[in-house]
Formats: sequence, C-alpha cells, structure tokens
Amino acid sequence: MSTDHGSVPNLADVQAAVLQPRPTPYAGTYLALRIDDRRQARALVQRMLPMLDSVASFDAERQVSLAIGFSFEGLRAIGVPEDSLATFSPEFQQGMAARAAELGDLGDSSPANWEGPLGSKDLHLMLVGLAPDTPRLEAILLLARDALRDLPGVATIWQQEVFAAPNEREPFGFKDGIGQPAIEGAAIPCTNSREEPLKAGEFLLGFEDETGSIAPVPQPDILGRGGTYAAFRKLHTRVADFRQYLRDRAADRADEELLAAKVVGRWPSGAPLALSPDRDDPELGADPHRNNDFQYGDDPRGLKCPLGSHARRMNPRDAIITGEVRLHRMIRRGTNYGPPLPQGVYEDDGADRGIVFAFIGAHLARQFEFVQAQWVNDGKFIGVPAEKDPLVGANDDGQFTVPRTPIRRRFQGLPPFVVNRGGEYCFLPSLSALRWIADLDT
Amino acid sequence: MSQQSLEQRFQGLPATVRQKVDAVIDDAKVALKVRVGELLADKDEVAEHAVTTAGRVGAKSGEVSELTAIMPLKPGGAERLRKFFKLVDGNLAGAGDVGTLHNMRFVFLDGDTKLLFATAYDGEWDPYIDDFATKIPEMMDHLFGNVEGWPGIHSPEVKDFIVQYQLPAEAWFVAHPNLTVAGATRLKRLDRTVQSFLTELN
Ligand code: HEM
Repeated sequence: MSTDHGSVPNLADVQAAVLQPRPTPYAGTYLALRIDDRRQARALVQRMLPMLDSVASFDAERQVSLAIGFSFEGLRAIGVPEDSLATFSPEFQQGMAARAAELGDLGDSSPANWEGPLGSKDLHLMLVGLAPDTPRLEAILLLARDALRDLPGVATIWQQEVFAAPNEREPFGFKDGIGQPAIEGAAIPCTNSREEPLKAGEFLLGFEDETGSIAPVPQPDILGRGGTYAAFRKLHTRVADFRQYLRDRAADRADEELLAAKVVGRWPSGAPLALSPDRDDPELGADPHRNNDFQYGDDPRGLKCPLGSHARRMNPRDAIITGEVRLHRMIRRGTNYGPPLPQGVYEDDGADRGIVFAFIGAHLARQFEFVQAQWVNDGKFIGVPAEKDPLVGANDDGQFTVPRTPIRRRFQGLPPFVVNRGGEYCFLPSLSALRWIADLDT
Repeated sequence: MSQQSLEQRFQGLPATVRQKVDAVIDDAKVALKVRVGELLADKDEVAEHAVTTAGRVGAKSGEVSELTAIMPLKPGGAERLRKFFKLVDGNLAGAGDVGTLHNMRFVFLDGDTKLLFATAYDGEWDPYIDDFATKIPEMMDHLFGNVEGWPGIHSPEVKDFIVQYQLPAEAWFVAHPNLTVAGATRLKRLDRTVQSFLTELN
C-alpha cells in the first residue's frame, strides 16, 4: 500500500495544528470570516496554501502555526457540491447551535444568548494563528491579512485574541494543556507511558479507529481523507464565584487550596492528585516526563483524586467506568482570553475572561458530544447520576463528592462556573483537500 | 373491605383523579378504581416512576430504559441460536462487561421465524452503542448475525436497523427507577463493608 492510501497517515498532508502541540507560552488570534463570493474565497485559500504547515513540515523551533477550518455553511458557501456536503457527519451538518440540547447549552449558555456572530449561518471560515510571542503572531497575521487584500467578498466578522502566561495557568489558576492522547504514527511524544497509543482513525478521517473499522469519509476521498473535525467554544469563566464557593466551605486557606485541587484533579502547578494527593509539588507539575505519567487503577474509590474531579472525568484512564474510555478521547487546544483575575481577589471585576476551548477529533458524536453529555453533564458513568463536572458542568444547585476516610465530604449548591458564549463545529481539511477546494469550479 | 367503604374511599379522592379514572375505566370494579385512583393521587410515587422517552424509541423510567425489538430471522437462524444458547446453558454472563445492562432476553416467535429481543438498560442507548459494540462485538455479531439483513455491529447503519424493528413499550415499570447497574454494584460493596464492620465490632 502507498502512504496516501495505506493505514499510516501521511503527515506531510495533515494541517500542523491538528497534531502539533501549541507553543508555550503563546499569543494567538481566532478570525471568523464570512464568504460572500465563492471565487474570492477560493482565491484566499489558494494564497494561504503556501503559508500552511503540515505536521511533517512544522518547524518546532519557530513554533508558528496557522490553521484553516470550515463550518458546514462555509463548505457550502465556497461551493462544495451538495452531494458531497451530504457525506459529512450529521452533527457537523447541523452546526453547534442546533446541538444545544445534546451539549447542555441551556440557560445562560443557550444559543439565544451567544455573542454574535457565533452560532449564526454567517460564520464560514475560521483562521487560527498561534505563535510564541506577539511579534511573531503579528507577522503571521500580517501575511493572513495580506492574503485577504482586494477580496471584499470575504469579510472578517469576528476576532478573538488569546494568550497564555509563561506559567500556562488557565483563568481558575491551574496549569492547563497537559493531558493529551498518544496517537499511533503521529510522531509526537506521548506523555502517559501507560496509555497505549490510540489508532490514527480516532483523530484523522479515513483511517482505522478504535472500533476496528474505518468510519465513513466525507466524499470525494481527496476532500475527506486526512482531514478531521474541530469544535471550538468561547467559554466564559466565573472565577470570583469559584473562589467564593470554595472559601465559604473551606476550613482555612490550605483547605481552600485542597478543595480547588480536588475539583480540578490537579494542583495549580499541574501536579496530579494521583501522584501527589496531599500537597502541591511544583517540580512534578513542571516535569513533562512525569506530570502525565499515571493511572487511577490504584485509587478505585477516588481517595486521592475524586472520581468526579474535572481531569479524572475527562480521562478516566484505567478506572472502571460504564463504557470504553478509548472511544471518547480528544485532542485539546485550550487558549485563554481576557485579563486574569488577580490572586486573592474574591469579588468579580466584571471583566470577560475564559478559555477558547478547542476539541480536535474525527468523531464529533462519540468523542466531543458524548463527553459533553455523559462525562461533563452526567455522572452515571461513575455511578453518581446526581453529579455533573464540578468545574465545567451545567450545574444548577449541583453536588460534588470528595471521598475521604472515614467519611466523605459532600458539597452542595454548586452554581455554574463556566458559561458558553458560543462556538461552532469546523472541518479541518488536509492540505490536498484545501488544494481541491481552491480548484473547485462550481 | 365492604363495597360501601370502597365507594367511600373512591369518593374521598380528589375530583380530578376521580374524573380521570371514571373516564377510562368506568366499567371496572370499584376496588380497581380505588387502587388506580390512589396511585394517581400519590404525587411522589407518580413522580418517582414517571415514564419518559429513552431516545428515538423506547420508554424510560428514572435512569432505566427498555428496548423491545422483534426481528425476522434468517432461515436456520433460530436453530443456530438455540445451539449457541444451549452451549452456554442460556447464560450470557459476559454481557455484564457492558456495565449498563440490567437484563436481556431472547425469545423465538412465530414458528422460529422471528426473534424477540427485550432488555432493560441504564440511560440512553444511542450514545453507548459504540461502547457496546467495542466491548462485546463478536457476541453481538454472533447473536444478531442470524437476523435477516443485520448490517454488522460496526456498520453506521446499525442504529437505524435496530430502530426499524423496535416496538416502544406502552407502559413501563421499574421498582427502583434511579438505581443504575453501577449504583447497585456500589450499594452491594457498601453493604459488604458495613456488614464486615459490624461483624468486627462483635
Ligand atoms: C473553561 C473551561 C475549562 C477549564 C478552565 C478547564 C481546565 C482544565 C484543567 C486545569 C485541566 C488539567 C490540566 C491538563 O490535564 O491539561 C484540564 C484537563 C482536561 N480537560 Fe478541561 N477545562 C475546561 C473545559 C473542558 C471541556 C469543555 C472539556 C471537554 C468537553 C475538557 C476536557 C479536558 C480533558 C480531556 C482534559 C485532560 C484530562 C487528562 O487527560 O487527564 N475541558 N482541563
């Protein structure tokens, strides 16, 4: 078998952002574009092709990356034929707003309350630029803007700056971006030596996946193969509410820190509770060879790391749960937006801050949507139907249990700490698919 | 209880409940009318056992859903299945791996031309079909491979295939609607712990 029809993905054809870890620290920009003229949009793709790196050509020294994604309406707007559009996954065809019930996007998170133009049919093309610092980000953005010159038929309708501090803390104050899946043939170092690499078909369309089969590939093959799906969500974080909730229930300052760590499943430095259950261990948190190298099998009751903590829910590893962990893994590209709330502040300052969360995977339904519905907004899989994810779940008078001997601690009246401001499902085509799109003649 | 005191009990129920009962089972014995009426009037009991929907087809009570399907068998299908069930003495213990299955049964109908499959399981079936297929794919294909037109457990059409033969239950009762299989396992463990603790105390 040749590489492009074999079972091994051709890394020279996959967009770098799909598999390459993002730089740390980073500065980034999300741009959403609306296509009013399909020929001009194709010209844009044509101009951008030389700027795009593949996983293979990605320069780990430069750490600069630009990615292109299309919403379903975007593929239609650029002229992908209807019979081809019909071969994309049904969830992608509907778009994120239409999936609100499945995703738990209700109340403040419901599409009716989203920030425009998120959730509208105008959002067609997403460009994401990431670089290790602002000057280098400016440089790629300049290139992207130059590619847009004299193309009035492609309008920029939304822009979101994202960044990370050198300590990589997310808005709640914890190191983020640690846990990522190991992938067969991806040539990216795996961080959990005990996780057998996942089949490439979990993350790239057209390859064998963990069910032992190859999922339907969007047609024609050149368009679908080597591409994948992304889900991005602008998640606003209620940091002051989070701090107040913990302070009101903690015995003292140290207990407050312990409770926060129990909610997350890691300490602020990133040190996992599974390896350091009683106190933070900054050296462990900073060590990429150790900070993700663990399982939960020796902690079935969750005495070290609660079954309901965010990180353990999102990847139960070898813990016994209902279902198969390996069918619900994801690549994450979370990036911060907004000013951090200074440490020690418990009052909300009114600023909008949070994460632009990005999921990457080949199966929107059984990866992203399943995790949102079953692992974030339900607790049946760990035997506690009454509990949702304490950090990111759609809680309303929610409950969270911290196992402890002789008697567990149980926390009630959990409010939501995360609100969805809007998002969309995107398709991230391979480089040859982008060429095919640029050459469309419809 | 005398006919008269039953009648009194019935009259003691809220008027809306009496109207509902009379409208549907006016011709029933008063003893039955009292039982149904009292059941309907017990709001907590009714709420705990409320029947909702399990997804595309099927009923759900609390966390427990039902799936009933009658599917056409291939020629010789019943015979092959019988052989298999005999081999394991009708014991499908491995199905416990799925983790959400309360029970399931296989019954042959219409002179061995059809298969009745009925099961009670936790939560919604749709999102877990892939997990199910990955945990016991050989078993699923071996059993359902005897059904006419079975597309294979890994086929993207498998959900539609099953739904097509599924018959929704018109009524559905579960003794402990909020007790999942995982929850029951936890209670058993808790009970063992408590019992051994008490034994040690003695
Ligand atoms: C504002 C929202 C969120 C915040 C602040 C947040 C924060 C965190 C933190 C601090 C960690 C631990 C560090 C790490 O392993 O990287 C983590 C892990 C993780 N989160 Fe989130 N998260 C958010 C939303 C989500 C959502 C919506 C999902 C999925 C739908 C998700 C999936 C994951 C996964 C898969 C992991 C890695 C678990 C592992 O492999 O051990 N997160 N998150």
